[in-house]
Amino acid sequence: MILQALKEYYYRKPDLPKFGFEKKEIPYIVVLDENGEVVNLEITYEGTGEEKRARKFLVPHSVRRTSGIVSNLLWDNPKYALGIKTKNDDERDEQVSKMHQKFKNEINLLGKQEDKGLNALKLFLEKSDKEKLLQKKFAENLKVLLEDENPLITFRLEGESDIIANSKILLNSIIEAYRSSENIKNLKKFDKAEKTICLISGEKDIIERLHPSIKGVWRARSSGANIVSFNSSAYCSYGKEQGNNSPSGIKAVFAYTTALNFLLDKKSQQKIQVGDSFTMIFWAAKKDNLENDFASFFNIPQKDDPNKGVKTVKALLESVKSGALSNDDSKTEFYVLGLSPNEARIAVRFFIKDTVRGMSENIAKHFQDLEIDRPSFESEFLPLFKLLVSTAVLGESENIAPHLAGDFMMSVLKGLPYPETILQAVINRIKAQDYKYKAKNRKAEKAKSEWVISHERVALIKAYLNRLSRKTQKEEEITVSLNKENTNQGYVLGRLFATLEKLQGEAQEKPNSTIMRYYGTASSSPVAVFSTLMRLHQHHLNKLSKEKAGRAVYFEKLIGEIQDKIDNSKGYPSYLSLTEQGMFSVGYYQQRQDFFKPKKEKTETENKIQGEQENG
Amino acid sequence: MKGFCLEVWGDYACFTRPEMKVERVSYDVITPSAARAIFESILWKPAIVWNVKKIEVLNPIKWFSIRRNEVKDIASVSKVSKECIYTQDSIQQRATLCLKDVKYRIYAEFDFIPQEERENHLRNVLYEHTKKKLKEEILNGEDETESKYASMFERRASRGQCFNQPYLGCREFSAGFKLINPKEGKVAPIDETKDLGIMLYDMDFKDLQSPQALWFFAKMENGIINVPAWGSKEVLK
Repeated sequence: MILQALKEYYYRKPDLPKFGFEKKEIPYIVVLDENGEVVNLEITYEGTGEEKRARKFLVPHSVRRTSGIVSNLLWDNPKYALGIKTKNDDERDEQVSKMHQKFKNEINLLGKQEDKGLNALKLFLEKSDKEKLLQKKFAENLKVLLEDENPLITFRLEGESDIIANSKILLNSIIEAYRSSENIKNLKKFDKAEKTICLISGEKDIIERLHPSIKGVWRARSSGANIVSFNSSAYCSYGKEQGNNSPSGIKAVFAYTTALNFLLDKKSQQKIQVGDSFTMIFWAAKKDNLENDFASFFNIPQKDDPNKGVKTVKALLESVKSGALSNDDSKTEFYVLGLSPNEARIAVRFFIKDTVRGMSENIAKHFQDLEIDRPSFESEFLPLFKLLVSTAVLGESENIAPHLAGDFMMSVLKGLPYPETILQAVINRIKAQDYKYKAKNRKAEKAKSEWVISHERVALIKAYLNRLSRKTQKEEEITVSLNKENTNQGYVLGRLFATLEKLQGEAQEKPNSTIMRYYGTASSSPVAVFSTLMRLHQHHLNKLSKEKAGRAVYFEKLIGEIQDKIDNSKGYPSYLSLTEQGMFSVGYYQQRQDFFKPKKEKTETENKIQGEQENG
Repeated sequence: MKGFCLEVWGDYACFTRPEMKVERVSYDVITPSAARAIFESILWKPAIVWNVKKIEVLNPIKWFSIRRNEVKDIASVSKVSKECIYTQDSIQQRATLCLKDVKYRIYAEFDFIPQEERENHLRNVLYEHTKKKLKEEILNGEDETESKYASMFERRASRGQCFNQPYLGCREFSAGFKLINPKEGKVAPIDETKDLGIMLYDMDFKDLQSPQALWFFAKMENGIINVPAWGSKEVLK
């Protein structure tokens, strides 16, 4: 299904390379005149530093080169194309001349052609010691070429705008050459039937022996890896070898590998890198806006458009609410494929197929679940990476739990509850007072409460618990803002803790050690801590009532309200379950947010007390 | 002839796609060949050949991913080569994307093969010593009927007897099974309709040196997959 979907994507995109070709970055072009004399040595690099890329050309599809001498057609590295060694090459001279001969042979296999460019090239290739030739007139560019790590070369006829490999006259011969390439010739040894059913298309075709490699999966082998590969005896069955283990026709194989390479390209807008664990690509069966917006739901917004994430999510939520997604277009199939590297192979992490509507609704739900009252300096939009890194030790992306990224992504796109590891990881980080991920660029040694019990972590807890309740058909417990009616013990105790902390902050000018050091124990076994805290808070109240009586009364009232909700039949709970610990953090956070909300009017109580004092 | 229904379940299942065999990815549902293998593990004789008719998916399709350490060499009987596999030298890590909590009801029938045709049957490929034994059976004149094997299967399946533990795609994912009485109430399959693409139908062992794979376009309608018959035009070869 995966390969079939990719094949269909190839056929719906009109501008992907046709059968037998691929797009390749070629930095050096040798320009020849009709007699085969060198007119110029061009360099096609554009951009600087990290962005430096050579121009892309449509060239005959690359061959698989492992240990033997195999040449590409009409383009290759200097050893093959010119018979010249660059600074990194250590082959013997005879080897290099063999390679160059192979290059010439491939061109001769095209036969006699009317193409002027090809004939000029043939004349040029017959010349000996091309290095000296180029050195004479183009020493500077030649030097750059010889220093380059990966100097690919192709040829162009003077006066033409396109390279020789793109000549329309040669088109059919190039396709023929691809069809009868080494790959396929060897196949006839293994399988007696010439054409077998292809498992991707269901039609009869010649079977591909070695699938072209896929480049662009992070951390896979840089020269390319394969999804379909049988490079060891343990992987073969029924005495089949290589591609015969999964018979796929050459046309279908070309289609799916070209589509994959296109989606995984460096500049692809349809690719998301999720930490170190996997690469995610997505596409739609028909042109759809979701293809353009999908990445911005999860990626960290770029500096040139920092509000992109916020805007696209808002638009998504609007379209779901207004029912704009109920039209026919939204029944288009949408695919998401997660790929993990494993050296020279690529493993499929997950594959999700859903309608545009279903996918959009699930993503919208994810953001709705994460919504929570936050401080004004916190961003409204939570990209995927930020969420995952808040669960990792010291905020390092390599410390994200191995399967968490993939499982989390899958649960978001499928509308399932988040993986349980999320709750455990977040609570562990909070208990460890891990603030590093928030304070990365600041020289902070002490944990600030809003860095430890942070927006991302609390949003994750809220979303996890709400999604779980939805799944088990219980009522969703946690609201976006502070919920004064919530009687969950963990929630209430969290609120109480936040109130006591605020009280201490207002009573003492600069407390040496705040109540925060009790946080871990308070959330896991309240009984050990709360009686002490309640005893201490009396002192704070007394101190505060001397300076700001109104405030003291306010706190007293609030603490009374909260304590009413604690089930005191057995005293404070001796332990809180993991869910309740999560609620503790949410209660704490939401109460704190409530404190920092701008108060437009003073509370009634404060006004009354002030009035009494003035009168009395 | 009369069909049977087996309910089959397991914690995990991996019906590996041929194209993703190394880093395993499972098909969405059980393949007809895996279903056939479950029936065969309960009862198989040269006299019968199983045909899977219908598959009902009872549990929603859930996925599970795992990485395991395996070896890349196969055991070799040649005296010249190594006597054993050293796992440290041969280790490979392979990822598997398999199914979780599967439950199916499989409906199958068997074809009864008359004694004369058993030796060189298209679908039952036999060892030489089995072929010899068959010849003896004909000489001794055992009385063979279809119902003999039907009752054999019914007896074994209802008692939970099997030659080898049935499995769901890979041997490590064992399956539990139960014979379903037609009088028992119907359990509704999942309410999902989707196109499953091209699935492996079975293997054709006519040419033992080079078995051929057979394919079909699988469609699940309201949780039910109708499996075409061997030799029908829906089976691509």
